[in-house]
Amino acid sequence: MVPWQVLVADDEPVSRTVVGAMLKKAGYPVLFAPDGEQAWQHLSTDDPPAIALLDWEMPGLQGPEIVQRLRARESSTPTYVILLTSRDSSADIVQGLRAGADDYVTKPANEDELLARVNVGTRVVQLQTALADRVRSLEDALANVKALQTLLPMCAYCKSIRNDQNYWEKVETYFTQHSNVSFTHSYCPNCYERFVRPELEALEDARAAQERQRRR
Amino acid sequence: MSDVLDQAVLDVLRSLSAPGEPDVLTEVLQLFMVEVPPRLEKWRNAWAAGNIQAVHRSAHSLKGSAGNIGANAMFAVCKELDEKSRAGDTGAIGSLVDALGVEYGRVQAEIERLLHT
Repeated sequence: MVPWQVLVADDEPVSRTVVGAMLKKAGYPVLFAPDGEQAWQHLSTDDPPAIALLDWEMPGLQGPEIVQRLRARESSTPTYVILLTSRDSSADIVQGLRAGADDYVTKPANEDELLARVNVGTRVVQLQTALADRVRSLEDALANVKALQTLLPMCAYCKSIRNDQNYWEKVETYFTQHSNVSFTHSYCPNCYERFVRPELEALEDARAAQERQRRR
Repeated sequence: MSDVLDQAVLDVLRSLSAPGEPDVLTEVLQLFMVEVPPRLEKWRNAWAAGNIQAVHRSAHSLKGSAGNIGANAMFAVCKELDEKSRAGDTGAIGSLVDALGVEYGRVQAEIERLLHT
């Protein structure tokens, strides 16, 4: 399993240390933020942590506000957010989940529960990452297909193709470069009759003529 | 054995230490002794100044610290302070000021005992 990085954002140092120690013991690399602003700095980078545990009430930015900002950003692999909250009223939890959090844990955190919920997060992150990779490779394949669906200028006589750089290329060269197609050379029955047989016959005639001359 | 700090919570904290790393329980208890007194002071000042919002914020944060080391009685007082100050119930807060001081004193003594034995 990939050890996904986990951000722990909590202004309360004792809680931050305890939650961090629980995650470290389970093998997660842990990042810490002592307030909302620093949490946002970690989360708004190009390569944010895969999972974030955000305290509900922090100076500066609060947990739900950070989630709202996070969810406003386009990402194929969004950070999995678990709100840490000492509030246990269901209205608060609903508000946090509505803001875009994926889950919540009430404080003080129980080790087994916290890790079980973080593990759910890693499963979701893993699925999302695999899905995003698949989508990317399909998009690449689609781009290649589209390239081959355009109008190609082809010479009516020698069948060369004019490429994007205005050079005339052999059909084989063009398709090898623009697709995963590669060619093996052979001949069809018609061309065998039209080209190959006459060539073979001409060779045979030439050989017979040489033989006659040698005997003379 | 004292019941000021919940033994089950202390055991969990002790079990979190990785081999070769500093003991998590010791680290957390030391952190508590460093972090909590100034916040308690801040809480008292906020209460004296009648700043109910600051009273609420401090009580909430103290509740978190107390909960994490299994200081159940102190946690209960902080929880009540958190709720009453959120509701703006200043009458109820006044009666809890002494209780918080007493509970903190017990926790402090117990931590000192644990750290020096």
